[in-house]
Amino acid sequence: MYTFKQIKRIWNEPVLLAMIVLVVVLLIVFVIYPIAMVFFKSLQPTGEGFDLSVYKALFTKKYFRAPFFNSLKLGVSVASVGVLVGYIFAYAITRVNIPGKVFFRTAASFPIISPPFVIALAAILLFGRNGFITHQLLKGKLNVEIYGFWGLLVVETLAYFPTAFMTLEGILQSIDPALEEASLSLKASKWKTFWRVTFPLSMPGILASWLLVFSQSMADFGNPLILSGNYHVLSVAAYLEITGSYRIPYGSGLAILLLIPTLIAFFVQRYWLSRKSYITVTGKPSAMRILEPTKWVKAIFTLVSAFLVGIIFLFYGTVFYGSFTKLWGVDHSLTLDNYRYVFDIGSEYLKDTLFLATIATPFSGVLGMITAYLVARKEFPGRRVVEALSLLTFAVPGTVVGIGYLLAFNQRPLMLTGTALIIILVFVFRYLPVGVQNGVAALYQIDPAIEEASLDLGASSYRTFWKITMPLMMPAFFAALFYTFVKSMTAISAVIFVVSGKWQLITVAILGSVENSDLAQAAAFSYVLIGFVVIAMFLLRWITNLFSYQERIRRARA
Amino acid sequence: MKKLGFVVLVLALLASTAYAAQVLHMYTALDGNEWPIYVRAFEKATGIKVEVVRMSSGEVLARVEAEAKNPQASIWFGGPAVDQIAAKKKGLLEPYKSPNAWSMPLAFKDPDGYWTGFYFGAIGFASNTEQLKELGVEPPTSWYDLLKPEFKGRISLAYPYTSGTAYTVLASLVALMGEDEAFEYWKKLHKQIHHYNKSGSACVTQVGLGEVTVGIAFAHDVIKKGISKGYPVTLSFPKEGTGYEVGAMSIIKGGPEPELAKKFIDWMLTAEAQNLMKQWYRIPLNPDAEVAEGSVKMGDVKVVPMDFDYFGREKDRLIERWKNEIEYGS
Repeated sequence: MYTFKQIKRIWNEPVLLAMIVLVVVLLIVFVIYPIAMVFFKSLQPTGEGFDLSVYKALFTKKYFRAPFFNSLKLGVSVASVGVLVGYIFAYAITRVNIPGKVFFRTAASFPIISPPFVIALAAILLFGRNGFITHQLLKGKLNVEIYGFWGLLVVETLAYFPTAFMTLEGILQSIDPALEEASLSLKASKWKTFWRVTFPLSMPGILASWLLVFSQSMADFGNPLILSGNYHVLSVAAYLEITGSYRIPYGSGLAILLLIPTLIAFFVQRYWLSRKSYITVTGKPSAMRILEPTKWVKAIFTLVSAFLVGIIFLFYGTVFYGSFTKLWGVDHSLTLDNYRYVFDIGSEYLKDTLFLATIATPFSGVLGMITAYLVARKEFPGRRVVEALSLLTFAVPGTVVGIGYLLAFNQRPLMLTGTALIIILVFVFRYLPVGVQNGVAALYQIDPAIEEASLDLGASSYRTFWKITMPLMMPAFFAALFYTFVKSMTAISAVIFVVSGKWQLITVAILGSVENSDLAQAAAFSYVLIGFVVIAMFLLRWITNLFSYQERIRRARA
Repeated sequence: MKKLGFVVLVLALLASTAYAAQVLHMYTALDGNEWPIYVRAFEKATGIKVEVVRMSSGEVLARVEAEAKNPQASIWFGGPAVDQIAAKKKGLLEPYKSPNAWSMPLAFKDPDGYWTGFYFGAIGFASNTEQLKELGVEPPTSWYDLLKPEFKGRISLAYPYTSGTAYTVLASLVALMGEDEAFEYWKKLHKQIHHYNKSGSACVTQVGLGEVTVGIAFAHDVIKKGISKGYPVTLSFPKEGTGYEVGAMSIIKGGPEPELAKKFIDWMLTAEAQNLMKQWYRIPLNPDAEVAEGSVKMGDVKVVPMDFDYFGREKDRLIERWKNEIEYGS
């Protein structure tokens, strides 16, 4: 418990107290309040009085039940296939030592930095009714129906397996090969070693990444909006219920149905699984030696990985090629018209998107660092709660956030509907968790003894913060900036509820172009967006190097 | 950040009061590329400045309702009459009988002047001429032509709950056939549909690209997004009669500039203003206005009389029935 003395200490540091109050107020107003509003509205079908009729309808009406089970089925399938693919890929890179590891790893990060629905766009370009493969190559002989469950399964697997891959790569790397070596020297076969040693040790990672991919698939909005056809999923159903039928209570109810499984998955993953990890990194030196596999195993893994990367390249390549064609499916002659359109008519979208993302990025980064500092370095009542709240938007699907902001900020005193501010706020708070997490991780790695040393040497606590803590947090800060910027540029699921005529986003324009079958235009928009993201990536890497402590030390030595 | 928002708000308020005399605040549901055609011309003709916020028609309704105690805009410009009828019922509108609307048939304006129509849009069929040739069929000229076996899996339109166009289709079928018969008809039509879109005009491009053979949409969208772009698309109408929408405008009750709003309504009904709608292939309601080449005139199409009041009121129920019996029907 907090002693009187501890509370008094906080009281004696007014800046600290102000910071804590500021963070708590912001989290309550911009994280808790909107989500509470969604829940509140779903219990208020007529605008006054509370009842459960919305939920009754959600479970009795077929057109509400279907999206719920469709989403679950899709989420489970994408998570299972995605984790399998991710595991094979991670195993190939960490254990089989396939050639071209850097190349494979880079390719697997494409789906992470690109707008989420580019893969769906590629699927339509390739396999749609006017698709390159279905229409041009096979001349309609083979009828592939990509609109629906199977199309979504393929597209979302490609979009979200990198999450599983990155988690599992970390896990597999942390398993000490000495354990496998021991198993082999005890005369177990390689096959048996894998199933008895490697696989059980990677189980926590498998479960964690399964839950992550499951949540991502449940929350996905862009791909189903384009590809779901008559296979309705929750995120799209909630969106249509609100923007199509103006039945806000039902849309809110659907959003709550979407929120529950993703929240459960998040908390199981974070607070239950993370405790069960089998730590094999002991700090004892263990040369990371990879047991050389047989030629055949190596060949098979290389082929499988190459196939996977081949598909990624095929998809992104198709969108790139498509962005230069006149009229996809009809006239494939090359032209720059689409890019001219993007920079001419679409320039408003570009300007707005860049402006909003650029404003939101530093705010999110700074707030993330402040929160991380408070959570990791300071003792105050409710510290754990603040941490959990700051991570909450991570678990909440964008659709729920968007509906929440729509409901919470359309009335006085916070009348923000239609303003730039509401979009900026969505960006700031939606991507805050990464800043917090990065910041906390960075601070835990910094031994408080360093700060104490500075204090002992007579520096004030402010000087210590600016001279010691801040520089050490810089890499985490810049990583958070990059993440927020990329995600803000490519966001769709939450902001689609709060965009207005005055403030338009590229992603919304892309969805509009796809809906109107202006596929080449959508492709050009997508690549301009990817271009911005890549530029931002290099810019931030450069700045990070400029400011990073380690780099400065290196230069000072040179 | 909140402080910044506050400062922006104060500045906006200051700016709006300072210029209140010359500025008309408008909510429009017209396309972002369309409203400037009329608004800029109005500004030029009258010297009145117009501040425009664009939203979908349903959003305008929600916004006007939310702001009922302190309206921020004076005029609601564009979008189907249905939503403005709903606003009238909720007591959100101010009646105004424009002298320029006198000659208009009653179907195109509110009898008490709460809303006034300014264009007319008819539902039509867009067909891909090349595919019609391949299939050896004529463009459909009857609702029942759509049930021909040749068109199986080759028709698209939008969901009635996401698109005003598709709801107009549903309403016109109900007006034409009676409700039960209309649903029986759509059950058969459902088997012909390749897929449903979210937006009403999307099917026109799909017909143009040959993804489907026939699309059901508003005639002006068929011309603007299909024929005028050079796609092999032809426009036809059902001989039994087709549905229509009336694009409406109205004065928001208690809005800051009622006199300017009246001026805009008067101006929008002049032949000069109505001629501008040619660019969007809309059918003007002023009989003196010109019609774009390739477009249809008022008398060309047989329309089903539609009771917008009724269809505005029954929308939720009809859509519920549509979802249950058609989309999720066995």
